Amino acid sequence: TTHLQSSSYLSPRSAEEARRLWSHYDSLTHDLSLSLTEQFRLILAPTLATKMRGDFRTGKRLNIKRIIPYIASQYKRDKIWMRRSIPSKRNYQIMLAVDDSKSMGESGSGQLAFETLALVSKSLSMLEVGEICVVGFGNEVHVAHDFDKPFLSEAGAQIFQHFTFQQLKTNVRKLVADSITLFREARRKTFNAATDLWQLELIISDGVCEDHDAIRRLVRQAQEERIMIVFVIVDALLKEESIIDMSQAVFEPDAIGETKLKIKRYLDDFPFPYYLVVGNVRELPGVLAQALRQWFAEVVDSG
Amino acid sequence: MTTQMRLRGGSRDVDYASSSQVRIQLSTRDNDISLPKNPGPLLVNTNLRRYALSTLVNHLLKTEKPIPFEFLINGTFLRTTLDEYLTSRGISSEATVPLEYVRAAIPPVYKTSF
Ligand SMILES: [Mg+2]
Repeated sequence: TTHLQSSSYLSPRSAEEARRLWSHYDSLTHDLSLSLTEQFRLILAPTLATKMRGDFRTGKRLNIKRIIPYIASQYKRDKIWMRRSIPSKRNYQIMLAVDDSKSMGESGSGQLAFETLALVSKSLSMLEVGEICVVGFGNEVHVAHDFDKPFLSEAGAQIFQHFTFQQLKTNVRKLVADSITLFREARRKTFNAATDLWQLELIISDGVCEDHDAIRRLVRQAQEERIMIVFVIVDALLKEESIIDMSQAVFEPDAIGETKLKIKRYLDDFPFPYYLVVGNVRELPGVLAQALRQWFAEVVDSG
Repeated sequence: MTTQMRLRGGSRDVDYASSSQVRIQLSTRDNDISLPKNPGPLLVNTNLRRYALSTLVNHLLKTEKPIPFEFLINGTFLRTTLDEYLTSRGISSEATVPLEYVRAAIPPVYKTSF
């Protein structure tokens, strides 16, 4: 339990039912989770094959890019050699945030959320690269599995106990704010400050949320604290209710202050820069890996 | 195929009235005012009343002269904001609200407020 545990959060599922559900979704996603683990392994694990890097006076291989400047500088800029670099050890703290609001059940997204939760948490735990935390959100944010708890075989069933898709609001703004707090605490508790700590949050939701501006600001703040957030939209099973076609009617004042009706595509103003829309759990390993690969490329580029 | 991936950079600040929103499903039994094609799920602020919703339907119908509409939710006329309606009946804004529209029997006096 943590301070984020809500007192108004009631009626978790029975342990027996949660165990039955977990084993159902676990076996349903078994093959997929192996493939996702493999994808994660390629992306998240630091490459064991070391790379030749750097600018040294002595080394193993010439750095071709340094040759011309070397000659041009009258052989003064002589750091023209590359050496094998040892990859730094990376540690991960990965949070899975699952939408526990009623709309998940209404739109039939709950099943897809369970599949996604089983798939991703299993894959991550098999990978053993770091700590996993699972939270549920709706009205409130509740921690279903804490960072410092090992992900043992019964963890999945215990997590499933927390999700009933009955919460009457979807407060994504609060989720992001609370996540930042949880990540800060988790970072503080990390003993080995020398290792590179990477923090990643995967939000699994039907994507219907309000307060886009406030959320956008919080997402920016998370980015500044090097917390990566990927929003996985589990789309409705019914095609005519797909979030891709959802529009938003907004009454806004125009230039002269007159209220005007505007109809916008909902996803055009979606406050998360990294999001995926998934209609089937089978698509998830592919798109998730693609998003993470892109994120890593950006992070490596920027620093 | 419902999979798509979008990675966007930057950010635009759009001003939203900070009120909650709800998904609505518009329908009518009257063929000559039915929507040309299903507009898909529509998200609106719950602070809307009949007048604003009427403006919305006229916009979707592209009417030249606005037709005043009345709205029914599960057979009851909407006389308040959506929020008040949902709250008084204990309906969660998590569910899609079915909204049936009909021509207003007596053209009501328009209020200027939303
Ligand atoms: Mg919801």
